[in-house]
Amino acid sequence: MFDFPIFSMPLFGHRFIFAFDAIVHVFVSHAAVGGSIVLAFAQYFAIKNNDKKFDELTYKVLFTLFILATAVGALTGIGIWVHVNIINPAAIGALLRVFFWKWFVEWIVFNVEMILLLMFFLTWKSKPIGTPAKAGHFKLVVGYAVASWLTMAIITAILGFQMTPGNWLASEFPAKPDYVASLMNPSWIPSLGFRTFFAILWASAGAMVLTWFFTKDDAETRQKGIRFFGKFLYASVIPLLVFGYWYYLQFPQAAKDLFSVGAVTRRFAVDPQLAVQITLGLVALAVVSSAYLFFRPTKAPMLAAIGLLVASGTLIGEFERVREFVRKPYIIYGYMYANGIRVQDMPLINKEGYLKQAVFLPDELRKITPENKVKVGEQLYLFECRYCHTVNGINSVKTRVKGWDEATIYHRIGQLNSPATPYMPPFAGTDEERAALAAYLVTLNADSKH
Amino acid sequence: MQFNFIPNDLPLPIPTGGLEAVDVVLTVLLVVAWLVHILFINVLLGASTGSVYFNKRGARENNPVFDRVAYLLTTPVTICENMGALWGVAPLLLISVMFTPLFYAAAIMNSPQWLHIIYGNIAAFLLSYLYKYTWHKLEHRKSLHLAIGTAAVALFLTLPLVFMATVQLYMTPTTWTLNTHFWDALFRADTFFRLVHFYLASFAVTGLFMMIYGTAKRKSDDEVTRQAGDVLVNTGKSWFLLPTVLNLFAGPLVLFHFPSYGIENFFNAGWYWLIILGVVSILGAAYLTIKDFFNPDLSKGKLWSIVGLAFITVLSMATLRHGMRLSLTSEAMAQSKAQSDDFVARSKAASEEAKNAQKAAAVATLSPAEVALEKNGCLACHSADQKLVGPAYKDVAQKGYSDEQIVALIYAPKPENWPDFIPMPPQPQLPKEDAAIIAKWINGLK
Repeated sequence: MFDFPIFSMPLFGHRFIFAFDAIVHVFVSHAAVGGSIVLAFAQYFAIKNNDKKFDELTYKVLFTLFILATAVGALTGIGIWVHVNIINPAAIGALLRVFFWKWFVEWIVFNVEMILLLMFFLTWKSKPIGTPAKAGHFKLVVGYAVASWLTMAIITAILGFQMTPGNWLASEFPAKPDYVASLMNPSWIPSLGFRTFFAILWASAGAMVLTWFFTKDDAETRQKGIRFFGKFLYASVIPLLVFGYWYYLQFPQAAKDLFSVGAVTRRFAVDPQLAVQITLGLVALAVVSSAYLFFRPTKAPMLAAIGLLVASGTLIGEFERVREFVRKPYIIYGYMYANGIRVQDMPLINKEGYLKQAVFLPDELRKITPENKVKVGEQLYLFECRYCHTVNGINSVKTRVKGWDEATIYHRIGQLNSPATPYMPPFAGTDEERAALAAYLVTLNADSKH
Repeated sequence: MQFNFIPNDLPLPIPTGGLEAVDVVLTVLLVVAWLVHILFINVLLGASTGSVYFNKRGARENNPVFDRVAYLLTTPVTICENMGALWGVAPLLLISVMFTPLFYAAAIMNSPQWLHIIYGNIAAFLLSYLYKYTWHKLEHRKSLHLAIGTAAVALFLTLPLVFMATVQLYMTPTTWTLNTHFWDALFRADTFFRLVHFYLASFAVTGLFMMIYGTAKRKSDDEVTRQAGDVLVNTGKSWFLLPTVLNLFAGPLVLFHFPSYGIENFFNAGWYWLIILGVVSILGAAYLTIKDFFNPDLSKGKLWSIVGLAFITVLSMATLRHGMRLSLTSEAMAQSKAQSDDFVARSKAASEEAKNAQKAAAVATLSPAEVALEKNGCLACHSADQKLVGPAYKDVAQKGYSDEQIVALIYAPKPENWPDFIPMPPQPQLPKEDAAIIAKWINGLK
């Protein structure tokens, strides 16, 4: 918000570095949650049939999962939080205060999950299949699966809250949250169901691909493994669609209207059909490659394995991107804009000005003069726009204002939250500040004018 | 104390339910969780260093016992890296909630380096797994194996630099300027001495851990592992002793490099008693270790006495650390709270004023065309009589199009007609009836 120091990320922008960490986390954490469930069933199957080879295959899948989940999954999860804490401290600070005890419970459950996973993984070799100790060992993976699902359940509540906070604000001045209402927000349960099944689907797809790689010279285990994991993949499709539709129904209308804009790039706003076609193409690729692996496990080429991974991974990435995008212009729906300004503070900032509230600001920029106007405008850009824009990199503001004169830019700043760009928060500040921002933005293309 | 730059506190309550007791619980959680985290990290740094050291010695002297010591140390590394990261989350969560304005500000000033605790950590994790799980595969390519292990240790050792810089910075808001960044914080004397104290303590704690771990391994069925247990116990003694003695000198240097107002508050509040307690009990632990330094059979009773005394020191240090945090930050937090209350009061007044103004203002009567222009976002780029991103509507009217032509141009613009402007994108989402109303209205401007 206005009173923290500024970290700005040139060229890549805040959204990019956050998205990088977040998308890696989404891939690994969903694989870990879905994987824990699928692996528990696989262990049950191996023990029941006393199937040594299938047991070995499960260990190899578990090994991959262990490395990814502990080194990459857990750390990028903390990373989401660490990234937001430097990118949007006001937002994560608010979420932490509303969700502190839920987060704390999540942390305890995460402890249980991690301890069970470490015990399960590190003692595997000492409890071989066929011995009585294996049954006790199996209980560890069941506990691990339950705990990992519970961590997802709690984190999903926070994501749901950002989109559909419901009636969580018991009082505006001073802000007092209703802690129960914020947890029981409308999209929590549907999104939890949706994520549960997409985690199972994604983990099964991953396990099919891993099986393909781990059983190059064992056709029998390959067939058994791919069919086993494939059944989980197909079984999760219908519940995924049902929960997905229920989840979609919870989105605010304004967010639903942004769906096609949110898909991958803003350019699809002009051609919404293209977004649909690309999505359907990816679904088709996933269907064809998974079917190839499932029905012809011994003949399926590497291309099918890679195709399945790429198609399902891209679909997941697209979903997360859309979900993040359609929440705009808010970061907490109806409460806080994407740039950390609370909706309820807008009248004050518009009346007194943004500069008056800023803490980390040189004294010579507190009052706008003809000499410092451009400098102040640059500060205002950093304060309010850097959350989504860079000067000349990704989503560059320089390109946005190219060819516009100062009066045009000034006019446009007053129309940021208009239906032309409904995903942008309104400019917050006095008329003088708006003019200063325009004066700065017009200098960005000054060199290319002649 | 007056601080030049203190962010406002967040305008949401700290979730204690207004109960003093919950505040105490949060503080206890903070001290305990932080201590557990640090102990895991201490052993992580010491054991991973020890593993590479003994691996190298085992290869050089062709000694299978040292190789075993090195391999045995990889298990606590795996556990400590995972549990250490996990137990780092709780203190981070608590600090973020209890000291939001100070901690977030410091993390931001230290960015992007602050992100090293994520990406550097991931790389270190992966390297340490690679080191552990290629142990037998790379048996005959020791230099490669040692290079992987050394890289992992080196990376792990860089993580405290980032943490310490941030921790020192958030606790000393008097040092903040508009241009304080990571390197300024890192190369300060207070940060330096805390790092020295921390790294030394890591090896001392690992020494204690080796004594416990070695004692357990002495009972193994395997001869090599039993001998490795002996090596661990003996090494543990010197790893514990030497850094502990050095830290008796580093400790005071840490204390007296804090800003003087913090030291003053610290002594006035009586926290120094914990220093005395900590020093006395660590001297006891050191004495017991020296007494049995050359005795290969360290009895269980003596081992746990040493560990117990050292634990008293560690616990009092963790608590006095919180004392120093309060001594340094209480006034800054109070200023933050006061600023925040003032902001909320002003915001409340402005919000009420705006609501009343809205009520008082007569509901403007807009024509259907103006409604359509507003609803479809046309006014972001156009106005009736002013050239903006796009031409003024009255200039469009001058072109002499028919209503139908204008409707067609909304859906399929022809930028070549307006060479001096940014091309207008097609507007397929605009309803037909709105387009017709708009076209008629434009032609009415002639």
